[in-house]
Amino acid sequence: MATKIENWREKELSIEEVFDKYKEIPKIVILKTDVHRRGYILSEKAQKLFNEGDYQSQADTIFGKKEGENKIPIGLIFRDGTSLVGGYLTNYGIRDPYVIDEIDGKFYLTDNGKVYEEVDFWREPDFYRKKTSKGTPMGEVVNVRPQRLNVAISRVCHFWDKPGEGCKYCNVGINGIDSVKHGIPDLFDYDEVAEAVAEAVKQKGRFAMIMVTTGSILTGEHIFDDEVDEIIKAFEKLKPIFKTHDLKVQLIASAYDKEQLKRLKEATGIIGYTSDIEVLNKDLFNWICPGKAAHVGYDEWKKRIFDAVEIFGEGNVNSGIVGGVELAQPNGFKTEEEALEKYLAEAEDFAKHGVPIAYIVWGVCGIFHNQVVPSLDYYVALAKGLNEINDKYNLKSYFDDYRRCGNHPNTDIGRIYW
Amino acid sequence: MSVTLTQEVIDVINSKDTAKVLATIDKDGRVNVAFKGSLHYEDGLLVVNELLETSQTNKNLTYSLWFDKEVAAVFHGPGAAEYQIKGIPRKVLIEGPIYEKAYIAAQERNSDNDLAGVWYIEPTEFRNLTLPVRIAEQKEKYPIIGHLDKDVNPEYYK
Repeated sequence: MATKIENWREKELSIEEVFDKYKEIPKIVILKTDVHRRGYILSEKAQKLFNEGDYQSQADTIFGKKEGENKIPIGLIFRDGTSLVGGYLTNYGIRDPYVIDEIDGKFYLTDNGKVYEEVDFWREPDFYRKKTSKGTPMGEVVNVRPQRLNVAISRVCHFWDKPGEGCKYCNVGINGIDSVKHGIPDLFDYDEVAEAVAEAVKQKGRFAMIMVTTGSILTGEHIFDDEVDEIIKAFEKLKPIFKTHDLKVQLIASAYDKEQLKRLKEATGIIGYTSDIEVLNKDLFNWICPGKAAHVGYDEWKKRIFDAVEIFGEGNVNSGIVGGVELAQPNGFKTEEEALEKYLAEAEDFAKHGVPIAYIVWGVCGIFHNQVVPSLDYYVALAKGLNEINDKYNLKSYFDDYRRCGNHPNTDIGRIYW
Repeated sequence: MSVTLTQEVIDVINSKDTAKVLATIDKDGRVNVAFKGSLHYEDGLLVVNELLETSQTNKNLTYSLWFDKEVAAVFHGPGAAEYQIKGIPRKVLIEGPIYEKAYIAAQERNSDNDLAGVWYIEPTEFRNLTLPVRIAEQKEKYPIIGHLDKDVNPEYYK
């Protein structure tokens, strides 16, 4: 049950006031950020139109939609090409969600009766309902964003193996453990993944990037050796699909040592590498990501990301954070002003080492399900500050932009600076 | 602000033999001009297929969409016809059936082509820049402008 903020509209700047305060930030990006922060629901009319459309939905792809059930959207796209990843019922119950309504056969974001922007939902790709040679619907093997294929290696993040070591903002660990309990294998079947990817890329113009990610695998002679081995095994199946050695792939994974990074780059041809520091403060990292702190440590995780720039090259490495989690209580920053100051200072240290930071809007879940996300003012200030740092250090991360990812307000803004 | 174009103008804009140029500005107000052969008129909007994600035009169109800034296109037809249309980018498609169709068409022209987006620009102003038309306009509105030698009476010098 979420913690509701009573009379929240009276306690923070309205979106119109935020538009006025940050005139240099596009309204669409501010709106997207707020929709992510507050979540959205569909009006009855919009739900009917959505049900009839050829849109991607959670119910269709993962759990199997039953006759008569409403389809559940998984993402929005705005008229500037900006995506909103998820957002349906995100942070539901903390503040009031936006309502997507149907007007003259189109979808519009509304709040308190005011119409803000026309939006659309993500479309289902051609391959989604086809089946692998083993009979699995391909949409269950590989999922997608408007221009991106998402490939996973391990469903389970093994930082959750020891009670109390999972990242507190995350539900991937909990869901992964749950899947394995229900007999679903820990690792994806790479033959099926390759079949789905090979089918997906037949659709011309549909995909510009493959994002490969995995739950952390801690075993091996050195921590993450087995994780790197698994990724290389998956690429043995994926590489023959393409004619180039270097692949338009972003890997989002654990922080590897230099030897692991070299081995990975050489064997796979991955161009972009992301290892998420998640929390830009050592003390808070130790509290919020206890497993990562115990097995690797903040300073070492950070150093490994910096080292990756040497291997992958500047512009091909970045790091993500869960924006807002730094204000989780009781140990988080006590004010948004303090959080912003400390966070931007630490982000600048990353930038000095060639690593831009990309943030996502925190959707409360997992151990932190009772927390509340910060104000829109804070999120916009964070996006503005991070973009200014990236601009100052001339850092570009095209591989994690509005098209190839769509989940970072600050890289949304960055597209006119690069 | 609605702009209505005659069929004659639309035909020039949509002709493959017309030279088409798009001028845009960046966030610092610096101007950028580029030939855009794909510019055409469709259902009341100018449409341009931008091939390059990193082009200055692509960035500037994004900037103009975000902040309601005008861009300007000029069209020079096979004859003397020359038109200028100003407008504001309202939408870009980066996925979906229309985008994919334009992507395939771009690839058919050159297999190395990619496609950043299909941009839709709402016209805000139309000007006929065809030289004889402009000369006539200037004579009508500003009769004092122009060089004297053009006005001399040749009879006087005989």
